[in-house]
Amino acid sequence: MVCIRKATMDDLLAMQACNLLCLPENYQMKYYLYHILSWPQFLYVAEDYNGRIVGYVLAKMDEESNECHGHITSLAVLRTHRKLGLATKLMNAAQAAMEQVFEAEYVSLHVRKSNRAAFNLYTQTLGYKIHDVEAKYYADGEDAYDMRKQLKAKPSHQHGHHHHHHGGECCSGEGRNTQVTQTRGDSKTESKASMKLESKAV
Amino acid sequence: MKGLTLNCMDRKSEAYELVRLGLKNDLKSHVCWHVYGLLYRSDREYREAIKCYRNALRIDPDNIEILRDLSLLQFLRSMPQDETVEGVPKSYNVDGKGRFIVAQMRDLTGFVETRQQLLTLKPNHRMNWIGFAVAHHLISNGAKAVEILEAYEGTLEDDYPPDNERCEHGEMLLYKISLLEECGFLERALEELHKKEPKIVDKLTYKEQEVSLLVKLGRMEEGANLYKALLAMNPDNYRYHEGLQKCCVLHSENGKYSSDETDQLDALYKSLAKEYTWSSTVKRIPLDFLQGDKFRDAAVNYIKPLLTKGVPSLFSDLSPLYDHPGKASLLTTDFPSPFELKQADIIEQLVLQLEHSVRNDGRYPERTEKEPPSTLLWILFFLAQHYDRRGQYDVALSKIDEAIQHTPTVIDLYSVKSRILKHAGDFSAAASLADEARCMDLADRYINSECVKRMLQADQVALAEKTAVLFTKDGDQHNNLHDMQCMWYELASGESYFRQGDLGWALKKFLAVEKHYADITEDQFDFHSYCLRKMTLRAYVEMLKFQDRLHSHAYFHKAAASAIRCYLKLYDSPLNSPAEEEDNTSKTPSQKKKMKKLRKAERAKKLCFISGGEEKNEESSASGNSKFGKRHIKPVDPDPHGEKLLKTEDPLAETSKYLKLLQKHSPDSLETHLLSFEANMRKQKILLAFQAVKQLLRLDAENPDSHRCLIKFFHKVESMPAPVTDAEKLVRSVLEAERPSISQLQNKTLSEANKVFLGKYEDSLMHRVAVAEMLNILDPARKLEAVKLIEDSSNKVMPTNGALGPVMEWKLKDCIAVHKLLDKVLIDQDAALRWKVRCAEYFPYSTYFEGSRSSAVHNSLNNLDINTTVNGGASYPGISGSENSVASNGKLEAFKNLTI
Repeated sequence: MVCIRKATMDDLLAMQACNLLCLPENYQMKYYLYHILSWPQFLYVAEDYNGRIVGYVLAKMDEESNECHGHITSLAVLRTHRKLGLATKLMNAAQAAMEQVFEAEYVSLHVRKSNRAAFNLYTQTLGYKIHDVEAKYYADGEDAYDMRKQLKAKPSHQHGHHHHHHGGECCSGEGRNTQVTQTRGDSKTESKASMKLESKAV
Repeated sequence: MKGLTLNCMDRKSEAYELVRLGLKNDLKSHVCWHVYGLLYRSDREYREAIKCYRNALRIDPDNIEILRDLSLLQFLRSMPQDETVEGVPKSYNVDGKGRFIVAQMRDLTGFVETRQQLLTLKPNHRMNWIGFAVAHHLISNGAKAVEILEAYEGTLEDDYPPDNERCEHGEMLLYKISLLEECGFLERALEELHKKEPKIVDKLTYKEQEVSLLVKLGRMEEGANLYKALLAMNPDNYRYHEGLQKCCVLHSENGKYSSDETDQLDALYKSLAKEYTWSSTVKRIPLDFLQGDKFRDAAVNYIKPLLTKGVPSLFSDLSPLYDHPGKASLLTTDFPSPFELKQADIIEQLVLQLEHSVRNDGRYPERTEKEPPSTLLWILFFLAQHYDRRGQYDVALSKIDEAIQHTPTVIDLYSVKSRILKHAGDFSAAASLADEARCMDLADRYINSECVKRMLQADQVALAEKTAVLFTKDGDQHNNLHDMQCMWYELASGESYFRQGDLGWALKKFLAVEKHYADITEDQFDFHSYCLRKMTLRAYVEMLKFQDRLHSHAYFHKAAASAIRCYLKLYDSPLNSPAEEEDNTSKTPSQKKKMKKLRKAERAKKLCFISGGEEKNEESSASGNSKFGKRHIKPVDPDPHGEKLLKTEDPLAETSKYLKLLQKHSPDSLETHLLSFEANMRKQKILLAFQAVKQLLRLDAENPDSHRCLIKFFHKVESMPAPVTDAEKLVRSVLEAERPSISQLQNKTLSEANKVFLGKYEDSLMHRVAVAEMLNILDPARKLEAVKLIEDSSNKVMPTNGALGPVMEWKLKDCIAVHKLLDKVLIDQDAALRWKVRCAEYFPYSTYFEGSRSSAVHNSLNNLDINTTVNGGASYPGISGSENSVASNGKLEAFKNLTI
C-alpha cells in the first residue's frame, strides 16, 4: 500500500513540497538538512505505490533543556492519503528511534488548538497528554497545545536490545483526518542556537 | 578590523572599503586578508575568497582558523554559481592560472592537504582526525580513510566512549563499517560490526547494515531471516520486502516472473499474510506478480475492505497496474500486450460487478452482511477515476456526479471531478470546482493548494495568488511563498505567465526557482564542520553526493528548460511587448484591451506586495541576524517585474548557462537536447547544433521531434552558402564526414528520408504531423500536401475491452499542438478551423476547441465574460466567505456577481 521507511537525502525536496502543500508552517531546505544531518534516525517518509512522498515526520532531540527529550517538528500526510493510519505509523517510527537511540524520556509536540483531528490522533491513538498551552504560538495568533507523551524510561547500556516493535497497533483506531500538526516557523532562532554556525574568532 | 565584519551584515560596500583600507595600511596583515576572504565568501565569490585565504596563509601558514575556512571552500562541490551568478570575478591570476577554478569546482586533493595540515597541527582534536578521514573518502580512497579512523580509535581508552558520547561514537563506527563495505571488504566489515555491536547505539541501522553485508556475501538464508525480523518491526517497508524477495531469489526488477517464481512468491506472501493479518502491504504486493484468476481473486480481496472503509487513495494505489508501457495507456506506437491489458480490464470488471451487487442488493456478491451506504459512494469514486484514466470522460463525469448526488458533503469528490474536467480540457470549470472544494474546508491547506494549481492551469494568476496568500502570511509579510522555496507554485505561475505571453514575469518565476537551487547548494557550507562535530558522517557524505546531483532534480530541470524557452521566444520576437500580441488570436480586440489593463493592475498590485515585503525586511534587520541560518537580509529587488530581464541585450547568451546545467545534469532528457538544438541553430553554432541532433538520435531516433531536428539541421546545412573561411570549411568537412554515419540519411535525400519516416509511422498522428511540417520546410510549394497529410490522419478506437463506450486514440494535448501548427506555422486558417471543428467533436469538454460541453460554450451562452473577469477580479467572494461556494458544479456560477 504505502511504504513507510527512513528518509534519505533525496526525499528532502519531496518532504518540503509535501509540507508546503499541506501545512501553514513551512521551512527552508536548510532546516530539513539540519534535521537529517543531526538525527538521521528520526526522519521517516510515507511513499505511495507511484513513488510519491505522501507523508513525512520531521523530528529532533531537544538539546537545550536538561531533560533528554524528543520533539516532533512537523508531521504531515496528504489529504488524499487519509484513513491509512500513515500518521500513526510515521509517529511510531520516529518515537521508537528517539527511545532506542537517544533514550529520550518523553516526546513533545505543538498542535493548533483548533485542529481537532490532529488533537484526537495525539490523545486517543498515540497517547499524548496536554502539558501546557502556549498562547499565540502560531504566526496567525492561534494558541498551541504543548503536548507530551512519556516514553518508556529504561536502563542505559543495554546489550542485544531489540528494536521497539511498533507494527502491531499501527492500523487500529486511527483518526479520520490525519492531515496534521506542529511547530510554527521557529526554525530561525532554534537552529541558529543549536548549530553554532562556525563561530569565527578573527 | 573586527568591527568591520559586523558591518558587512547590512552595509556591504562600506565593509569592503574599510577592509581594503586596512590592507593598504598593512599588506602583511593576515587578519585583513582573512576578513577580506570572509567578506567575499559571504557574497558567494568563492574564487576571490580562496585567493584571500591563500594570501593570509602565506603570511601565517599555520593559522588554524584560516586553514579551516580554506578547507570549507575547497569542499564546495558542484558550483552552479560558476555558471549562473552574474559578474563572475574578472581576474584569477593572483596565485596562478586557473588553479582556483579547480579549487572551487572540486579541489579535493587540496582539501586533503589542508586537512592533513590541520591534523598535524592539532592531533588531539577528534574533529581533525575525522576530517582527514572524510577527505580521503571523498577522493575515493576509502581504505586510507578506514586506516585513519582506526588510528584514531587507537588513541582512545578502552572504556571509551563516556555516556554522553555514545551516540557519536556509534555513528563513527557505523561510518567506518559502511566504508569497509564500500571498499568491498565485506568479511571484515561484518566482523567489525559484530565485534562493535555493544558500542553501536542505533540498533535499527545495525540490523540494516548487517543484512546488507549478509546479502552481499551471498549468505541468503541468514539474510532472509534478518529481513523477516526487520519486517516484524515494520511490515510496510518495501525495501525489506524487496530484500526478502532477493534473498529468496525471487525479486525481479522488470516485474516479469516465470510461473514457477510466481508460485513461490505467492506461497511466500500467503505465509506473510498469515503473520501480518493487519498489513495491507502484504496483500497489495502480490497484485504485482499474480495473473489471470489468481490476480482477480487477490484483487477482489484487497479492494473490497478498502472500499468499505472508504480509502480515498485506493485508485492511485492500483494505478501502477495500469501504468506499464502499453497497458491501458493510449500511446499509438505501443502494442499493448494481452497480459498487461488484462490487469486494468479485470479491475474494471470486478469493480463494476461490486457496483452492480451493492446497488441492487446492498451487499457484495456472495456475502450476507450488508454494506454501509458509503460503500456505493466509494465504488463510484473509484470508477470515476478509472474512466478518467481511460480517457472516457463522460462516463467518469457521470459516475462522479452520481457520487456527489449520493453524498454532497465529501470534499474529495469535488477534487476528483475537478481533475477529470482538467484532463478533459476544461480548465476554468476545473478551477471553479476546485474552488468549491476549497470553500468546504477553509482550514485545509491541501485543498487550497490544489485549487491554486487549477487556477494557474486556467491562467487565473491574480486569483491564484490571492487564494494562495490565505495560507502564506508570515507576520507582516504578505506572501512567503518565495522565502519558503515553494517551487511548485513558482513553476506553475511561471508557466501560466508564459502561456499568456508575459515573458518578464515568467522569467522572474523560473529564475526564482533556479535561485532556490543555488541557495540549497550554499546551504551545505554550514554543515561541513557541524557534521564533523556531530559525527553524523554517513548522512554527511550522502548530503555531499546529493548536492552533486541536486541540479538533476525535476523542478530544476523544469525551471531551466522553461527559462530557456522564454529567452528563445524573446529572441524570436524581440518587440517591446511581444507578450500582448501572442496567443490572443481567439480574443476580440476589446478583450485584448481588457487583458492589458488587467495586467497593468496586476503589476501595480505586485508592486504593493513587494514594497510591503521590504518594510518587513527593514524591521527585521534591526533584530539582525536571528534569521535562520545566515541568509542575508534580502536587498531590494531592483527588478520586481522582470522588466529588466526582458531587456537583456542577448537572450541567446542567457540560455547558455542553463543549457550547460541541463546538459550536465539531465543528459538523458530529450528536452535538454531539443532546447540545445533550438538555441544553437539560432546562434549559428552549427557543430553544437549537430551535437544536439546526435544526442537526440541516440536517445530516441523514432521520436517525431528528433526527426524534425535531423531534417531541419541538414536542410539548413544544405542551404548554407559555400564555405569561405577556414573555419567554415572545417565545419563543412566535419559534417560531410559525419552524414554517412547517420543511418536515417544513408543514400537518401532529405525528402526521401522524410518519406521513409512516414512509411514507418503512418498510423501515428504526431509522426505524420512531423513529416508534414518537414515537407513544408523542404519544399514550401508542397504546403497543401502537408496540410492534407495532417487532415487525412484518422482517430482510431483503442483496442480495449472497456465495457462502457469506446476510447479514442488521440490526445487532447497533441491535437492542440496540431491546431497551433496549422494556424501559425502552415498558416492555413481554413484547415485550422476544420481541425478545430473536428476536435470539438472528439473533445466536447475542451475549452480550447470550444467543445459543446465545455464551459467556454456555456459562458458565451450565458453571455458571461468569464476569463477576463476572473483574471482581474478585484473582489473575490470565495475568499471572504463561502456564500457562493455551493453547487456551482463547474458551471462557474460562483463568479456571476463578480465586479471588476
